[in-house]
Amino acid sequence: MATTTLDETPGLPGLYAKAALSAVADALPGPLGRGGGDRADLPDRTVRQDGARLDRDRLAAYQRVCGFRVSDDVPATYLHVRCFPLSVELMTASDFPIPLVGLVHVANTMTVHRRVGSGEALDLEVGVADLRPHRRGRVFDITAEVRPADQLEPSWTSRSTYLARGRGEGDDDAPRLEGVPGPAEGRTATAQWRVPADTGRRYARVSGDVNPIHLHPLAARLFGFRRAIAHGMWTAARALATLDGRLPQAWRYDVEFAKPLLLPATVELVTERAGDGWRLAVRSSSGPEHLRGLLAEGERGGR
Amino acid sequence: MASTPRKAAVLAANRIPFARANGAYRRASNADMLGAALDGLVARTGLQGERLGEVAGGAVLKHARDFNLTREVVLGSKLAADTPAFDLQQACATGLEATVAIANKIALRQLDSGVAAGVDTVSDAPVALNDDLRRLLMDANAAGGPLEVAALLPRLRPHHLVPEIPKNAEPRTGLSMGEHAAITTREWEISRDQQDRLALASHQQLAAAYDRGFFDDLLTPYLGLQRDDNLRADTSLEKLSQLEPAFGTGEGATMTPGNSTPLTDGAPTVLLGSEEWGRAHGLAPLAFVVDAEIAAVDYVHGHEGLLMAPVYAVPRLLARRDLSLEDFDFYEFHEAFASTVLATLKAWEDPAYCKERLGLDGPLGTVDRTRLNVVGSSLATGHPFAATGARIVATAAKLLHEKGSGRALISICAAGGNGLVAILER
Repeated sequence: MATTTLDETPGLPGLYAKAALSAVADALPGPLGRGGGDRADLPDRTVRQDGARLDRDRLAAYQRVCGFRVSDDVPATYLHVRCFPLSVELMTASDFPIPLVGLVHVANTMTVHRRVGSGEALDLEVGVADLRPHRRGRVFDITAEVRPADQLEPSWTSRSTYLARGRGEGDDDAPRLEGVPGPAEGRTATAQWRVPADTGRRYARVSGDVNPIHLHPLAARLFGFRRAIAHGMWTAARALATLDGRLPQAWRYDVEFAKPLLLPATVELVTERAGDGWRLAVRSSSGPEHLRGLLAEGERGGR
Repeated sequence: MASTPRKAAVLAANRIPFARANGAYRRASNADMLGAALDGLVARTGLQGERLGEVAGGAVLKHARDFNLTREVVLGSKLAADTPAFDLQQACATGLEATVAIANKIALRQLDSGVAAGVDTVSDAPVALNDDLRRLLMDANAAGGPLEVAALLPRLRPHHLVPEIPKNAEPRTGLSMGEHAAITTREWEISRDQQDRLALASHQQLAAAYDRGFFDDLLTPYLGLQRDDNLRADTSLEKLSQLEPAFGTGEGATMTPGNSTPLTDGAPTVLLGSEEWGRAHGLAPLAFVVDAEIAAVDYVHGHEGLLMAPVYAVPRLLARRDLSLEDFDFYEFHEAFASTVLATLKAWEDPAYCKERLGLDGPLGTVDRTRLNVVGSSLATGHPFAATGARIVATAAKLLHEKGSGRALISICAAGGNGLVAILER
């Protein structure tokens, strides 16, 4: 497997510009265009950055926006944000068969083997795997791993599933996403969140994920949404933050993003104890679920 | 009925390093800092998931939304969520008053364990609406309908845009704490040189304490800080003597940024418990909280210095415990200003003052300077108002633990002319 090692964190604005240009190119016919989704192979390649540092101010801003305490404990969901530029680098490279623009993040599972501190030097590595049919197009996984610099045992691993919407390549019997069990039906909400209209912009600022569907209703409309939608990973982080102080030493967090959370909104968080972990859901008071999550105690890794 | 009072022990303590204002902790709120200090305490003592009796804490500069600051911090901490908590506030004495409150409940068997804490930030201070605008909005809220609200509009003024910023001034005198202290400094004729020497000792002794590992089990690094960043290990009398005065005027202007405490952010916690509870949790007492005395002075019309209340509290406490001023191994006196400590010591040596003001037969006594703030105090550490009390309790308890036996006198002056003093023993 080939590895591209980056000296510094790639700049997201440049990568997005590249993605936008290639989206235009894809739309063109003939020799100029890339011709659409004919190629099916994912690159057998990882992108890594060694000895990466976290910026304390950015981390604090992220913690504030997602409801974490400002502390030296790096939220697991922030490691997703820290690895995100590497995954975008991978997905905007010329050997990547699927256009970045229009991808939908449908699920994430992350495992924390041990605490990551804000002062640690970290090796980050991102890969891509498992392009497979889905009834609404195709899905694939971005895998990510964070290790303390120069060590083999990961502190954190993650798998994000993205959907490239298109002609369903399978019928309804095609593999669906792994179902994440939510809290029991009809369970009383734990909390009510008033989610302001600028949530997407605020999260974009701290995460670098400036996908236009999150930023403004007009931009979102271009992509078929009635209003701007919250980042799934914001919702996942905000839910995780409510469990601050109650997490086991090592754990796994599976989330599935259901209906988009249109902004602004008032939504409910539902939590239910499940063994040493928790079942979670974020739903609108009228019923539809935006996120379903399972937090389970995991094996403690490393020393 | 088990009603005999018992001894409340200081079992452990933890704080985050103190940071100069608008520096390392500029992104942190009171809740963030107190949470970090508390979780550090929980980690050090192995109390994860434990239900403690109660947590008492508070802040001086506090947002209205933080009315339940300490309880909210507990809910996000690694302590059990059913650990109760309350907020209290007594300016710079907050942390010590919290210690006294928890210790008293333990002594009276109302609690077996508890945490005393304090926190303050001047980097994330509450800035409120202009007070005239606030009143206007309250009137609008009470108005009967849109027309009545519209009738209020002409009352809007440009100056309403100027927010209300917390001021370091006594409401009844309009003088800042430093300006009040400057009056006392002049009245007691405390020289610049004496003040600078006390400040120098504070820095040198704090630096030495860090170097010998004194704070290793009292501190959790936070946001990149390993030590208090106000500490100037390499300062000298020469450097201190060159600073321009910050308070006072003319000849009498002897108070500088070097011999006054700077604005600081930080949070300390102290774990208290009965001996039995400590034993059951593998925690041996560092020291015991013996007694405390509060006093206040009339600094408005009574011709007494704002920060002189401890001068009155100590003789009352000594009389009750049948002790003399010389009966202590450690004196932990909050260094609001170097001159505050020096004026306090001088007052207790003054026969006329002790007779007329304190009602004593003669001088209260002399404090052995080699036992005073032996590991530095607020001048070097910094002074996040509500945080200082619990910091000093931790230091005094650790000093007694190191020595093996002895007695420590803690003294803290506070805004409003309050002063709280306490005795720790081992």
